[in-house]
Amino acid sequence: MKSIQNYKLTVNNWCLVQKKIAITALVPPELIFACRGEPFDVNNIIPGSKKYPRNKLCAWTAIWQEMLSKREIDIDFLIVVAGGDCHNALVDGQKVAMSGIPTHFFFYPFDGDPDYLESQLYKLSDFLGNVGSPEKPGQIRELKKLGQKIDKKRADGKISAGDAFRIMISFSDLMGDLDKFKKVISSTEERKIDMGNRVALIGVPPIFHDFHDVAQALGLAVVFDELPFEFIRHSGNDIPGIARDYCNYTFARPLDFRIKFLQEELEKRKVDGVIHYTQFACHHMLEDEIMRLKLDYPMLTIQGDLPGNTPEQIKLRLEAFRELLERS
Amino acid sequence: MIGLDVGSTTAKKVSIEDGEIKYKITGTHNWKDLVTGIGGNEIISTGYFRNSVPHRASVTEITAAIYGVRHYFPDADVIVDIGGQDTKIIDVKKNNFTINDKCSAGTGAFLEFVANYFKIELKEMGSFHSRAKRIPAINNTCGVFALSEMISQLVAGYTREEVIAGMHYAFARRISFMIPEAQKLVLIGGTVKNKGMLSALENILQKEVLVPDEPQIVNALGALKYYC
Ligand code: SF4
Repeated sequence: MKSIQNYKLTVNNWCLVQKKIAITALVPPELIFACRGEPFDVNNIIPGSKKYPRNKLCAWTAIWQEMLSKREIDIDFLIVVAGGDCHNALVDGQKVAMSGIPTHFFFYPFDGDPDYLESQLYKLSDFLGNVGSPEKPGQIRELKKLGQKIDKKRADGKISAGDAFRIMISFSDLMGDLDKFKKVISSTEERKIDMGNRVALIGVPPIFHDFHDVAQALGLAVVFDELPFEFIRHSGNDIPGIARDYCNYTFARPLDFRIKFLQEELEKRKVDGVIHYTQFACHHMLEDEIMRLKLDYPMLTIQGDLPGNTPEQIKLRLEAFRELLERS
Repeated sequence: MIGLDVGSTTAKKVSIEDGEIKYKITGTHNWKDLVTGIGGNEIISTGYFRNSVPHRASVTEITAAIYGVRHYFPDADVIVDIGGQDTKIIDVKKNNFTINDKCSAGTGAFLEFVANYFKIELKEMGSFHSRAKRIPAINNTCGVFALSEMISQLVAGYTREEVIAGMHYAFARRISFMIPEAQKLVLIGGTVKNKGMLSALENILQKEVLVPDEPQIVNALGALKYYC
């Protein structure tokens, strides 16, 4: 934790000289950068983690909760996405707050009301010390265009699903550094990918760090990643603009809204099948039967628990799913 | 050409000679005994260790089960494969499958534990079941709770036979939750030789459940049929 001396007081607000802002899910990075913050998505470290958290439901929240509370991740502030996302995060976020890290709870509107989201963004901006770099959202918009190109190229078989996923998932915090991130994006290697079966990956991202590469090696090319696609899809130049766009963040909205969006996207990408990833002890698992009912594609549901390599039991399911797609 | 199914507890070899199915079964770790004199080029493998044994082609147990069951029951629409470590439910008509390997309550390991507790052979469980006069209610959601309940029911005065029947019902109920609507339901895997479990399942589902003559070799046969 940085001490209070690290912050300087401006006319009527705390303005932070340097602040690392941890986020637990999608918080418009446009606003964090504009407030001169350096966002850091705490989920970045989970898939590679070897931790066995003590008090756990979902391993994603349990691991970041433990690491933040024990100061094993160096951050200054925490923003917990609570409303419209994850109740495990809401509770684990409060545990972190009780450990002494200044924490803000951010709520998306279930009904997509942009005025509500705007008021949430103003509160967040107050928490972060207000906008000091208004040019950042424009720069992020340009980067997101590059992200959309990456997404398209992988759907066209020019970039591997693993490479595309790693870039897209990083759009939640843009590695905390726009210039560095831009270099990483432009270094992405293009090569011809043997596409095999085209699958969409819906639900929260898998907790296994090698999932996309494993799926590809087993003949399943992921051409759509639901959540990372949300990371590159929304933008906005100022708070009202960000509110108008991010209020359609599908994960926070009712299921029929999200499903309609998925139906259109899957159709566009000509997928052969859908993989629904679910996380142990996550409420999104309850959505599985609805997804199966509404999405008219062969569907494989898998569940992960602890981070690491894709386990053999999951590989068996992927292989059987490929065989199934080849039979249909 | 042979079909070789090397699973978590047993290995099975199947060949078809003059239209007749020949098979051999051994423990997983003795799988090599099944293939003496047979080159990898003549093996179509399936099962948990399908990629660890020499093979010309390999296929998952799910696809192998579909091809193997088709040999016995061409119009089966749902297949339930109860293995030692997992249970697979294959909806052949809808081309869909689910695998339970998280909870032992729905796998062969659960009944094995019961047999071990009573120091009896797995294959004796069916005849114990048939001698039960009453069937105690046993929690069906969690293997661990069901096992402690089993002991409570013994304390409450139920006989060993009755508690075993109760455990078969607990097991069958657990499996039944995973089974979709089916006209023709086929059960395969070693566990289905247990008549007590089978009758519990038929009772719960209120329908006949079909079992091939040699339910254990279906996947090895299926691997062979898939390729040939
Ligand atoms: S996987 Fe589910 S429970 Fe875990 S953090 Fe994500 S939304 Fe929350």
